[in-house]
Amino acid sequence: MTLDEIKSGFDAIDEGPHLSESSTISLAGEISDPASHPSVAALLGRFGDAILHHRVSSGTQHVVWIDPSCNLEILRWLRDDPDQRYDMISDLTAVDYGAGRPINVVYQLFSTVYKRALRLRCELPLDGLEIDSIVELWSAANWLEREVYDLFGVTFRKHPDLRRILMPHDYEEGYPLRKDFPLRGRFSRAEQTRRALNQAVEHSYIAEEMELGRDPQQATPVNGTQEGDAEREVR
Amino acid sequence: MGLRDVLPGGGTSSVTGGMFGDGSPAFLTSKIDWIINWSRRNSLWPMPFGTACCAIEMMASAASNYDLARFGMERMSFSPRQADVLICAGRVPYKLAPVLRRIWDQMPQPKWCVSMGACASSGGVFDVYSMVQGIDTIIPVDVYVPGCPPRPEGLIYGLMMIQEKIREESLARHFEHRAEDPNTVARPHANDAQVRGLSGPFGNSTQQEELSTKELGADIASSEDLIP
Amino acid sequence: MSSRTVEYTVGRNPEMGVDGSVARSPLLPFDIPEPSLDTENMLINIGPQHPATHGVLRLVCELDGETVKRVIPHIGYLHSSFEKLGEYRTWNQIVTLTDRIDYLAPLIYNCAYVMTVEKLMEIEVTERCKVVRVICMEMDRIFSHLLWLGTTAIDVGAVTPFLYAFQERERIYKLHEAFTGARITTSATRVGGMMADLPEGWTDGLQNFIDTFLNTLDEIDCLLTRNQIHIGRSQGVGAISAEDAINSGFTGPNLRASGVDYDVRKDQPYYDYETYDFEIPVGQHGDCYDRYLCRMEEMRQSISLLRQALDRLPDGPIDVEDPNISLPSKTDCMSDMESMIHHFKLITEGIPAPEGDCYMAIEGSKGELGMYIVAEEGGTKPVRWRIRPPSFVNLSVLPKLAEEHLLSDLIMINASLDIVLGEIDR
Repeated sequence: MTLDEIKSGFDAIDEGPHLSESSTISLAGEISDPASHPSVAALLGRFGDAILHHRVSSGTQHVVWIDPSCNLEILRWLRDDPDQRYDMISDLTAVDYGAGRPINVVYQLFSTVYKRALRLRCELPLDGLEIDSIVELWSAANWLEREVYDLFGVTFRKHPDLRRILMPHDYEEGYPLRKDFPLRGRFSRAEQTRRALNQAVEHSYIAEEMELGRDPQQATPVNGTQEGDAEREVR
Repeated sequence: MGLRDVLPGGGTSSVTGGMFGDGSPAFLTSKIDWIINWSRRNSLWPMPFGTACCAIEMMASAASNYDLARFGMERMSFSPRQADVLICAGRVPYKLAPVLRRIWDQMPQPKWCVSMGACASSGGVFDVYSMVQGIDTIIPVDVYVPGCPPRPEGLIYGLMMIQEKIREESLARHFEHRAEDPNTVARPHANDAQVRGLSGPFGNSTQQEELSTKELGADIASSEDLIP
Repeated sequence: MSSRTVEYTVGRNPEMGVDGSVARSPLLPFDIPEPSLDTENMLINIGPQHPATHGVLRLVCELDGETVKRVIPHIGYLHSSFEKLGEYRTWNQIVTLTDRIDYLAPLIYNCAYVMTVEKLMEIEVTERCKVVRVICMEMDRIFSHLLWLGTTAIDVGAVTPFLYAFQERERIYKLHEAFTGARITTSATRVGGMMADLPEGWTDGLQNFIDTFLNTLDEIDCLLTRNQIHIGRSQGVGAISAEDAINSGFTGPNLRASGVDYDVRKDQPYYDYETYDFEIPVGQHGDCYDRYLCRMEEMRQSISLLRQALDRLPDGPIDVEDPNISLPSKTDCMSDMESMIHHFKLITEGIPAPEGDCYMAIEGSKGELGMYIVAEEGGTKPVRWRIRPPSFVNLSVLPKLAEEHLLSDLIMINASLDIVLGEIDR
């Protein structure tokens, strides 16, 4: 095999998914009767215009697209209404379809009372990646939203503690799970190693940084940096 | 045929140089060496730096079926100040790298390092933005144990290799054994061009400064441009 | 010279000391005035390298003496970006990644992932495959709980249960190895079936394990359940109410210990779990001791489930008989052209998926393990593979649980949550 053939074979391994050009890829699924899921029917009845779209995916799973500006109101109603009672948030995540398409924030709810599950999605344009935080409804959303912020760059308004959770606090290569982020990162390995070794190991456990006495539930600056970073040890 | 035949030195405890000059059979120093090395290798206190799946196999090695206590290693020292051999078991992301470095620095000499598993040795399955591609980019490693995860027998073989390495040490070469300067210890023996040639197309080595991203529209002229 | 007496109570346990009455120490100097101490809270950093954090977890604690005022967990020290890696792998290639996420119960993750893909593709697996997967999942539930038991006991100072638990785990390692070839990184499932059928004699090995495991569990039970030290360290420690637990996203034995009988196997059943006869242990107080009891009883229930599954294990094919999904047998590939082409396409390209997304939750050993997969039409790799890790949400509750407890209680609470950092950091 020539070098070119070897290269093209290995390219296939390294490349990510080739996404279709269809603009409706994110609104995927079959159309089904909304009445087959009681919550969907109720949502359509109560919130009419805020419900943008409804599909059934994988045969039985109902997905509802809602207007991002109403997410708090709709989710609050879903949690509190006696016929809905979605008391558990199973999952909160985001999907990036790439190629400039909007990022979808996905809420997966479950009701332990009625044993029903429902999935809601909010589409956020890439130049407006902001949505209200739902930590006041379910405290499980605290870390789940931090993770979405860390990996996708979606800002959650009024989140008590929005900062990076999985990546180092001062990670500068971007938001890893976006489709335009390469698998191996944006810096060379040598640069990544240098930055790693120059991290301050004692970050965020020096008293001045912890700001003793500060209520951790207070809002912190959204850009995620801690005030008063300790001196970096340069090796 | 055993470890002794393949290790440098051939398993003899000859000491070149020593108190009595070059090449002379330094009987007294070799006896001292023998005692010191015997006591060091049979009472190694491992520092288990376990992160992921390999840590579970390390725990299984320490448990009763594969018993590390018969090697004198049951006293897992979680404080680096009292440890001899750092067993890095599991994948190490860049966020954890300074912690590993700090733990290694806190260990007093003489110290050795075992890189257990594919992830610690080379990054393993994880050639991604967050994973250190082999802890030998952070700390000097003495023995690499391949496997994903290595069986407890594999880890034990690796620890026995450390023991053999200690058997070959000598006081006369003390500074050579305990050297830690990152510019001289654990550098690749190949030159930069050879390293670049070897590491493409699966990803660049940590010794390279090239970016991981392919420049859009660049000509594919050499193997390093393939790095996606 | 003024005299000052120092009074303190001798122990709270009536068996120690003099029936709880106030005692005076004759040794304490009573003529030195006690200085007024102006204390400030102390910051302690636990981890990320620490024997008791069960992985690379960093806990930053603000302590007032020994009392924890605030604890902030920091994670991300094992972030291996499985989710991004999954976007570069075909559906079957991702199975090998799933072992490494929760390395304590790899078969559960293998099964959870392929179950989600099969739900997305609307593939129905064979009856034999369902029962074999139930066997794998219940066996790994015991596997994971045994490690939890050993490490929790060792955190509170009991070394013997650790050795007993690991000896039992060795027997499960042997079963893993006999079936899949590897002890931990099993990669046993494939979309539409399993990597291979059970080898001959494997069910005898499993039967042997089922028959003798409860003896060891009884021994460990004997060592820990009515042990005053263990009870003293775990009762009343880290309690959480049922409403708080549900709202905070607790799932699994942690949630059931608080009195909520939510188990995915009962509430969103899969693989005929509604036809098996088993109970869900539910606690009352939501403290560490109840979590311990829930997990011990879950191991017994898993043994009962394994017995039932072995009894009903049907014969038949283990893979779906569709050559577009499962690999054809090697003999077919060598003799039949179409099988060869199917084999080639499955290996080089993969299985094409329908457009859509799918969230499937199963009862993992730590809690509700969910996988969310988004696929595009004809896609052989996922657009998005999301793992809903139970330990991630469970750990986020730690600050609430540990407030106003002692530092040693923090260690116990952390251990009782049964977290695995591979799953938290992914």
